[in-house]
Amino acid sequence: MDRVSGKAVAANSSALKRFVSKPDFSRLLILAVMLAITAVLQQNFFEIKAIVRNVNAFTPLILLTMGQAVVIISGGLDLSVGTALSLLTCVLTTVMKKADPVTGAYALAAAFAVAMLIAVINGIGIGYLRIPPVIVTFATSFMWLGIALFLRPTPGGETVDWFRAFYNPGSVEGMPAFVKALGAVIPPALILVLIGYALWFVIRRTRTGRYIYAVGSNNESAYESGINTAWVQMRACMINSVFIFLAALFFVGQNQSGDARMGDPLTLRAIAAAVVGGIALTGGRGSVYFALVGALILSFVSKIIFFANIANAYQTFFNGVIVIVAIAGSHGYTLYTRRTKEASKLT
Amino acid sequence: MSVVMSQPLGALYKIYDRYKKLIIALLLIVFLFVLGEVTVSNFLSLGQILLTWKLASFIALFGLCQMSVIASGGSGLDLSVGYTATMTAVFTAAVMDGQNANLWMAVLVALGVGIIVGFLNGVLTAYAKLPPLVVTLAMSNILQGVIDVYTAGRNITGKPSPVLQILAAKSTGIFPHILFVLLIITPIVMIILYRTKWGLMLFGAGSNETTAYLSGVSVKMVRCIAFVISGVLASLVGLLLIGNMGMAFKDMGSNYVMPSIAAAVVGGVSLTGGDGNYLGVILGAVFLQTLTNLLVAAGWGDAGKWLGFGIVLFALLIVYVSNRRGR
Amino acid sequence: MGTVKVLEATGIKKHFGGVVALANGNLICHSGRITGLLGANGSGKSTMSKIIAGVYSADAGEIKLSNKLVRYRNPNEARKDGIAMVFQNLSLVADLTVWQNVVLGAEEKKRLFLNDTAAKDIAREIIDQLLPDLDIQKVVHELNPGEMQIVEIAKAISAKPKLLILDEPTAALGQAQVRSLFRYMKTLAERGVAIVFTSHRLWEVMEICDYVTIFRNGENAGSIDFSRDGKDPEKIVDYITGEMLKAKVKKKRSAATSEVVLSVTDLNYGGVLKDVAIELKKGEILGIGGLAGQGQHELMLALAGNYAGIDCHAEINGKRIRLNRPANAIRNSILLVPGDRQLEGLFLKHSLFTNIIFPKLGLRRQPLFTPRRKYRSECEQVVDVLSIVAHSLDMPVSELSGGNQQKVVVGKWLSFDTNVLLLADPAKGVDVGAKRDLYEYIVNQVQEKKMSVILYASDNEELIEYCDRLMIMYEGQIVAILEGDEINDDTIVAASLRVR
Repeated sequence: MDRVSGKAVAANSSALKRFVSKPDFSRLLILAVMLAITAVLQQNFFEIKAIVRNVNAFTPLILLTMGQAVVIISGGLDLSVGTALSLLTCVLTTVMKKADPVTGAYALAAAFAVAMLIAVINGIGIGYLRIPPVIVTFATSFMWLGIALFLRPTPGGETVDWFRAFYNPGSVEGMPAFVKALGAVIPPALILVLIGYALWFVIRRTRTGRYIYAVGSNNESAYESGINTAWVQMRACMINSVFIFLAALFFVGQNQSGDARMGDPLTLRAIAAAVVGGIALTGGRGSVYFALVGALILSFVSKIIFFANIANAYQTFFNGVIVIVAIAGSHGYTLYTRRTKEASKLT
Repeated sequence: MSVVMSQPLGALYKIYDRYKKLIIALLLIVFLFVLGEVTVSNFLSLGQILLTWKLASFIALFGLCQMSVIASGGSGLDLSVGYTATMTAVFTAAVMDGQNANLWMAVLVALGVGIIVGFLNGVLTAYAKLPPLVVTLAMSNILQGVIDVYTAGRNITGKPSPVLQILAAKSTGIFPHILFVLLIITPIVMIILYRTKWGLMLFGAGSNETTAYLSGVSVKMVRCIAFVISGVLASLVGLLLIGNMGMAFKDMGSNYVMPSIAAAVVGGVSLTGGDGNYLGVILGAVFLQTLTNLLVAAGWGDAGKWLGFGIVLFALLIVYVSNRRGR
Repeated sequence: MGTVKVLEATGIKKHFGGVVALANGNLICHSGRITGLLGANGSGKSTMSKIIAGVYSADAGEIKLSNKLVRYRNPNEARKDGIAMVFQNLSLVADLTVWQNVVLGAEEKKRLFLNDTAAKDIAREIIDQLLPDLDIQKVVHELNPGEMQIVEIAKAISAKPKLLILDEPTAALGQAQVRSLFRYMKTLAERGVAIVFTSHRLWEVMEICDYVTIFRNGENAGSIDFSRDGKDPEKIVDYITGEMLKAKVKKKRSAATSEVVLSVTDLNYGGVLKDVAIELKKGEILGIGGLAGQGQHELMLALAGNYAGIDCHAEINGKRIRLNRPANAIRNSILLVPGDRQLEGLFLKHSLFTNIIFPKLGLRRQPLFTPRRKYRSECEQVVDVLSIVAHSLDMPVSELSGGNQQKVVVGKWLSFDTNVLLLADPAKGVDVGAKRDLYEYIVNQVQEKKMSVILYASDNEELIEYCDRLMIMYEGQIVAILEGDEINDDTIVAASLRVR
């Protein structure tokens, strides 16, 4: 009995040691630093109102990052997330008619169907046809853009009244009072993120979750073990689409309009955030939960730039620099562990 | 695989096989023009064709940047060409100020910008082994940022030198001058690619890294230089862009990036490297521009253009690149 | 305990391109018995294993599993029928843990979710028998090669196969791990599993196997039942080489001088090459032999400068050189004809012309514009000297036959002054005529220009016929050096198996 507990204690302290030396720890550290700096710069940082506003601002990137993380882990990459998001907002605002509340439900169904269709097409390209993901999603991103422009050549469209609940239940008439009160404290954005989390939580425990990691880490080995790698990658795309769908709900709830170009800057940011959050671009590694940390870090950096009164112009610049630094750092770590892996492999 | 054919037919088949992708590109263009003539009248006129070629020339020049990088292998792509060109245009606008006198300085600036951007891209991709697509995408962001900072709170003043305007914008009769630029550059490019040691080293590095390395060629250096070439070319095209538009503005080059890659793919440049014919890239550019014109003429506008691009690129990727598991 | 015939393969034929790997392969496996497979390189034994496991499909012949005729199109079908094969590190996923890998593809489910507890139990049960201290929660990329091999074996066993094929499972294992493996194999045998086992370590085969089936030239050369016939390593060597080849007359005079042209000592690389020392004399043909996969390929690459991190002391003609870049080796006229011509030696999409002149581009002070006419006539010379069959210098090399492709790879270096020519299995997959042409050229160069050659060949015939001296490699080390008349099939095989 003593030996068992002794071993457990030893295991725990060495586990702690291992955790501290891992890159995840340094990520949390960076996040804490960013948070601290922002808190200093933004006067009312800890007020409920400010927290809610921040959560709302960060949510789209968080959702997209988590979805992108799933795709990257499965061995893919999705450069079409930005335009896919735009397309979904355009679909929503085209199907909905302000006068008829039921169209809201149709819009949800339509947008979800479109999201799945996007996933299927990307999945076929990446999984079945095995075209390099970067190129194929590059191509599909223009397909989504084209369709989005077709639906909404200029930003606009209509939404039904209750759709605003996805952003701020307080602004919707006819909402029960307790929901409004709840919405003031716990923004729907947070709930959307939690839904995303829950989805991944469930999937992680199924075969799909395990296989997404297997396929991303070593497609050949996974195939040799009898796994249908193409189907797994397609499912990863579908999960990504769900996250994009949630983000679209939020965006339309917030702005009541659809815009074919709103998602453009988000694509690279989502990839960068995933990498900063520890997802290896080579696949098979990283935690989707932790990808959120990456999104938060990038979002806080933007906030800092804003509050420190650095010219807005520098934002794009820093975006690019951060991506390169993040990728170089993460790649370096992956390369290091892979090289030790390779050197020890039998030739 | 020996098929007994009559002599002339056999020879014809051989030509078809080698230039398959070029021929397909040419046929696609003809097809589009015919389609255009049928659906929209007056599509197939000399003026229209030359105008298409003029616009396509810019795509073709950017396509050359892509070809340099793609052919060198390692999943090479350069997404920063657009903003490289834009940055050069913006920086040199004030330098030239509408005079020919300072053109040489503008060219120097262009070279400097191109070399620096290309070198950074090259080092990060070839030596640090970061994925080219993400690196060049991030680089384009950085360049965009630099432009934003430079133009913050001030208007971009300055006009291009008249020489540039003549080259890029003007025509003699119905013949756009830019076509001459392309006509001069093309043979130079072909000679460099197929007759000099640089060209061969480039294709070798893209075709098989290991073989090239074991033959004593530094693959990393070749790929780095390929990015420098891409950067310099893009930068110089920036001068032509400002010559064409008469002024510089912040988004000048972005619309050329995707078409330049598409032109390379349509033109048969293999995305894995080691292969490619610049004539194909030019034809690819013409094809895409023709497609754009057709869609615009048919009233599809922006939406149709992007959708068309996306579908065409996707379809070509399926045909050229897909790697289906067959056992 | 009565044994049942689990597998019966008869008359198996298999060819790859123009090369016949199996002419008439037969194998019988009984439940509860461990069968060893032995044979020289190219004897067909590994092809036989792979056909049974479903990796390749036989051109002709029958395979019966438990008296039922079967034909597998891929390894998964074989696995479903209870045949599991363990390669070296082929099917592990580096980013998953040990237990996740063991059950990969065959996970148990508890309603909708994965049953991780059951999986861990299964993994623990097997791993405990093989390597009790291995933490099954460890991620595979943290393991060393021996541990990875154990996990690979565990994965195959978890499928509860009827027939388990272990292809060189001990290559990466240490003594203690081998003992554990053997103990577990005996346990499995007692449970009725039929096992096929191959190893380059003869003592292992003699220790664990009940029978041994020996392949030679694509056919069965013999079988030995250890319990009935006893364990005699010499007999095994005899079967592998074949009695007739014993009396082989050695060939013509050697052109070797006493001058040392290349000297390499303390060559170590990544655990794959250990303390290798080579002294190559001018005009000599030095052979490298041994069973496949003992480091010969890596040695050739190392001498060609392919490994940037290499650790060794090298001198050419007395001058110290660094073998950290191919360009360095080439500059010192150490030229490599690589072992895998398609992956390492050719630009398949490109023309003969491009392939042949390519190495010139890497040299210093080369003209910017490739002197086409000069190079073309040089290429035509190459085609002539090596008798390359091609209808044009501009045709892509992918369209050439294997033999002609190999000639192109050799032809690249023709116009170079060569101090040392490194030949990594130059005649592999090459037809008889091309093989003769190639060797004729090489011997000619050695005799006339006093070129020095290091020749690695997987076929002992070539080594016997052409080498002045022969070094046998075993597990990354040189274990024997044979000279002159000592070089024959018998001594080579014996040294390769470490019998003598």
